Amino acid sequence: MNAVVQLAILETKMFFRDRLSVFWTFLFPVVMIWLFGSMFVGNEMNGLTFAEQFVPSWIGVNIVTTSFFTLGTVLAGYRETGVLRRYQSTPLQPWKILAAHTVQGTVIFFFSAVLLMVFGMWMYGLSLPEYIGSTLLALVISILAFFPFALFLTSLAKNTQAAAAISSLFLNVMLFLSGATFPIAFMPEALQFVAKLLPLYYVINLLRGTWNEASISSYGVEVGIFLGISVVSILLASRFFRWSGK
Amino acid sequence: MEHVIIVEGVTKKYGSVFAVKNLSFTVKKGEIFGIIGPNGAGKTTTLEMLEGILKPNSGTIDVLGYVPTKQLRELNKRIGVQFQSTSIQKKMKVKEALQLFASFYDGPSQKDHLIELLGLHEKLNVHFEDLSGGWKQRVTLALATIHQPEILFLDEPSMGLDPHARREMWSLIERLRKQGCTIVITTHYMEEAEKLCDRVAMIYNGELKALDTPQQLLSGSISKNITFESHQLKLEDIEPIPGVLRVEENDGLFHVFCKNQQETAYQIFRICHEQEISLSNFYFEKGTLDDLFVHYLEEEVVQ
Repeated sequence: MNAVVQLAILETKMFFRDRLSVFWTFLFPVVMIWLFGSMFVGNEMNGLTFAEQFVPSWIGVNIVTTSFFTLGTVLAGYRETGVLRRYQSTPLQPWKILAAHTVQGTVIFFFSAVLLMVFGMWMYGLSLPEYIGSTLLALVISILAFFPFALFLTSLAKNTQAAAAISSLFLNVMLFLSGATFPIAFMPEALQFVAKLLPLYYVINLLRGTWNEASISSYGVEVGIFLGISVVSILLASRFFRWSGK
Repeated sequence: MEHVIIVEGVTKKYGSVFAVKNLSFTVKKGEIFGIIGPNGAGKTTTLEMLEGILKPNSGTIDVLGYVPTKQLRELNKRIGVQFQSTSIQKKMKVKEALQLFASFYDGPSQKDHLIELLGLHEKLNVHFEDLSGGWKQRVTLALATIHQPEILFLDEPSMGLDPHARREMWSLIERLRKQGCTIVITTHYMEEAEKLCDRVAMIYNGELKALDTPQQLLSGSISKNITFESHQLKLEDIEPIPGVLRVEENDGLFHVFCKNQQETAYQIFRICHEQEISLSNFYFEKGTLDDLFVHYLEEEVVQ
């Protein structure tokens, strides 16, 4: 257990030593909210204010960026440069590596979510989530589904570039089709159907919902889907863990 | 003496290409065992099979009583590995790396002792990416030995080091051996094998070509030579002498590789006496592993 804690602490420290990843994780979403805010503030939609819609959505988007970039692509890099290969000849087991990175990702995500929320409260008068326990639970469930999912998908990549390409593809598709940036109601029906196939659509539903409307018990479908993705991904990610690119 | 590694008839194929062919050797407890050969000879493949990372296609491997691929975790507790051009996280500080790797093992770590031994004090707060090649090798050596392993595997530990750093690396390896560690080292620097290793396995094309102490290998006929200077003597005079294997001549400086130094020397003196040719700086030389190596390579080409 000591190894997991040590590794998680170190990986978190190292994340903050890399200015570029700090920018993309913390500042980029804030800038995006601010940009969208300058366009949409004042237009209420489905009875929700701008911040009530967009802040939970971007917190959801941040789960995706954290899982694919902070975790997946970084581990693919470790696989390519021999960092994982070095661990292979120690008693450290794969699940401990995955667990440590999951803890690290959760910590970083937590900071980014708090930052977005505070920004929303300060700039746009956002209030704390209506069902705060439900929102926190929704975040935990989403993390448990997305982190292993991304770790497994990026482990299929041959190198860092391929992992980054997979990650960018997922992020961009989800960003535009899941309702995070453009309201789904504006889209043609075919795209609305595609949107509902994307896991981020459900994350956003869950977060917006528990933030504004109802407790998590009203979102059985979403919770079910995520727990399913979670179990399958954890199994796949640890079963097919690869130490090196070879 | 106790054997800590026993390799018997091991073969490893990649597709239809043999990386290692019917390899057998043993490593004794407490020795520095060298695996030498040119790039692509199968050294790293051999090492990775001993470490349990690669599974041989046939043959058996026993390391500390374990079958490496089957009991990898148990084995990993007792061995240390330094890879060829390894990397740890770029932004990790040296002291963080030491602490992290110490946390992987249950037993006591010799972290502080290693900091002392390897002189890591001044670099403890430096990020790994900012270290020079020599310091990187020291750090990865420290990571490999932090749990006082019984066997230490070093894959080309002095690759890319300058001569000074290389010598320091050798003395560190010597000191680790004095602690009772068995060391298996691969290298393509023959000088390294000669200075450092108790016994050397020469591998070429995945096959074992020779296995002995460096001294014994060098006392074999192939590597003995005679050196002298003469500006009148010609290659054609020496090459026909029975027992001469190869002659190198450069600006009057001769190297004559022969089966029997005394006999060949007599013949050279006889020719020079008859033709009234003067010789200078005549001496018997013990060859180097390099010479031996070139010999095996040439043999291979002839076949």
